[in-house]
Amino acid sequence: MQVLVVDDSQIMRKIIMGALKKLGVNDIVEASNGQEAVEMLVKPSDIGLVLMDWNMPTMTGIEAVKKLRSDRVTVPVVMVTTEAEKEKVMEAIKSGANDYLIKPFNPKDIQGKLEKFLPAQKG
Amino acid sequence: MKAENINPFILSVTETFEHMLDCRLESGAPTCVPEESHQPDIIGVIGLSGTAQGIVALKLPVSTALAVVGKMIGAELRSVDTSIIDGVGELVNIIAGNAKVKFAGHSISLSLPTVVRGSIYKLNNLSNTVWLTVPFKSELGDFAVAVCFKAEVASKEEATHASVSRG
Repeated sequence: MQVLVVDDSQIMRKIIMGALKKLGVNDIVEASNGQEAVEMLVKPSDIGLVLMDWNMPTMTGIEAVKKLRSDRVTVPVVMVTTEAEKEKVMEAIKSGANDYLIKPFNPKDIQGKLEKFLPAQKG
Repeated sequence: MKAENINPFILSVTETFEHMLDCRLESGAPTCVPEESHQPDIIGVIGLSGTAQGIVALKLPVSTALAVVGKMIGAELRSVDTSIIDGVGELVNIIAGNAKVKFAGHSISLSLPTVVRGSIYKLNNLSNTVWLTVPFKSELGDFAVAVCFKAEVASKEEATHASVSRG
């Protein structure tokens, strides 16, 4: 099962991918904005979890989540963002995001999300 | 700028470095001086707008920037490249994002971060504000965060007066 990391910051993608690899997740693909992510996800793929930034050019993370859900794509999406206000969290969940991870985070925070959505990665 | 408004930014910097980089910081006393420098720095700048307005500038000497971004990605970096620029931009974005939620009752949006690299520069403040600069010491090197901020916004036009000029 693949994990898709979506962030316009190359360095943030590296940080997240580094944390995933430390947790034993090596099958990782990446996208730099919501549009790229949607294009990857509407096609058949092995992607089983999406870690999605909110603020990105071309298409934001929340726009991408809305598009995915309107296209009946059910892959779990965890928003990974600095948008920490309660209203933003509620907006994301209402739009179809499954969970929320607020920056700054550390690898243990990502591990918690993985265990929730990728049970096979436990241990 | 009310002096107490610097505290959420100090707390955010400390939390960000401890949580993401496992790096403890020692902060110095805030000073109120014009933001000018003649040292080679990499500066991440981000604007805040909404019911409060401001600018946050993360000022890293090159050696500190290399150490900090290197730790972020688990690599030894020796020269300034796009990773450094991207990393400093992301760091100031996280610091400002984490700080803005500490201002209860405010609705604050962030601009896209800008990263400036240079030896001689001046950061222009928002009108009717001053820069408060907080120095930090860490195992990754010394650096500073400068903030100009006002929670009482008189008009939207005032937010447009901020700019970064390089020399």
